Amino acid sequence: MAANTSVIGRTTRVHGRVTGAVDLEIQGFVEGEVAVGGDVTIDAHGMVGAGVRGRRLVVRGAVKGDLVGEEAVLLEDGARVVGDIRAPRVTIVPGAFVRGFVQTGEPGEAPSRAARPQVAARLAPPPAPKTVPAAVTRAAAAPPPMPAPSKPAKAEVAHSVATVGSSTANSAPRRPPPPVVPALKKAKGQIAKRKER
Amino acid sequence: MASTVIGAGITIEGEITTDEDVVVTGTVRGKLSAKETITIEPGASVEADVVGGSLVVGGALTGNVTATERVDLQSGARVIGNVKAARVTIADGAQFKGNVDMDV
Repeated sequence: MAANTSVIGRTTRVHGRVTGAVDLEIQGFVEGEVAVGGDVTIDAHGMVGAGVRGRRLVVRGAVKGDLVGEEAVLLEDGARVVGDIRAPRVTIVPGAFVRGFVQTGEPGEAPSRAARPQVAARLAPPPAPKTVPAAVTRAAAAPPPMPAPSKPAKAEVAHSVATVGSSTANSAPRRPPPPVVPALKKAKGQIAKRKER
Repeated sequence: MASTVIGAGITIEGEITTDEDVVVTGTVRGKLSAKETITIEPGASVEADVVGGSLVVGGALTGNVTATERVDLQSGARVIGNVKAARVTIADGAQFKGNVDMDV
């Protein structure tokens, strides 16, 4: 370990702001805000209830908050992230769990929910102008234009989603997961049966 | 090797609680409590109330200190605040302003 690395140990709990220009390793619990100029490693035992900003973020533990990487965000096997992720390069390996909006590209402001419609708008319009000239040049081929505009857009979205793996659900508008009523009913039934006995 | 290290260049504003040793080379503002040894290295800046098993200070500390075992102010330490511990040592060359209470 580099002498310059700061470590929040396993039994350590920090409530507040952690800032600085060097690397940070979190094995314990941090609640508040983490913003460092160096790399941040969140260990398998690390729990962070805070937004995290750093050069490269490597996550093997749990994070509830937004992740912003100036260079990259890497979610390793065992990572659990509930929050938005933004970095020029985002890597999510199999075994990592994410629930949030993921955007690769320039760093800068933390990913905001308001940014999402803009992203959708940016992806949607390009196909439309392209199809107009296509339709004009292929005047005879009238039927294809309708499916043509939607296909590239969908393919693009599908590709970008595929690269970030488990965030597929987030391309749809956010809504809470469906209630687990059947499971509850089952449980109730079992309890009732037990009582009958 | 302490398991929690607040290195030079890191600032923590808030509350730090741990069962382990802590070494501070950076900056801490707020509250710092550990069950084991807290070491405030030369160059560190701590503006916090400190509670620990034992405390070794070589840097700057402003705040009240309570230790269950001992407090050692090393040469080069600059401490402003009240110190409460069963055993307190102040090395030659340490700067200190505050009350000492060894009646724990």
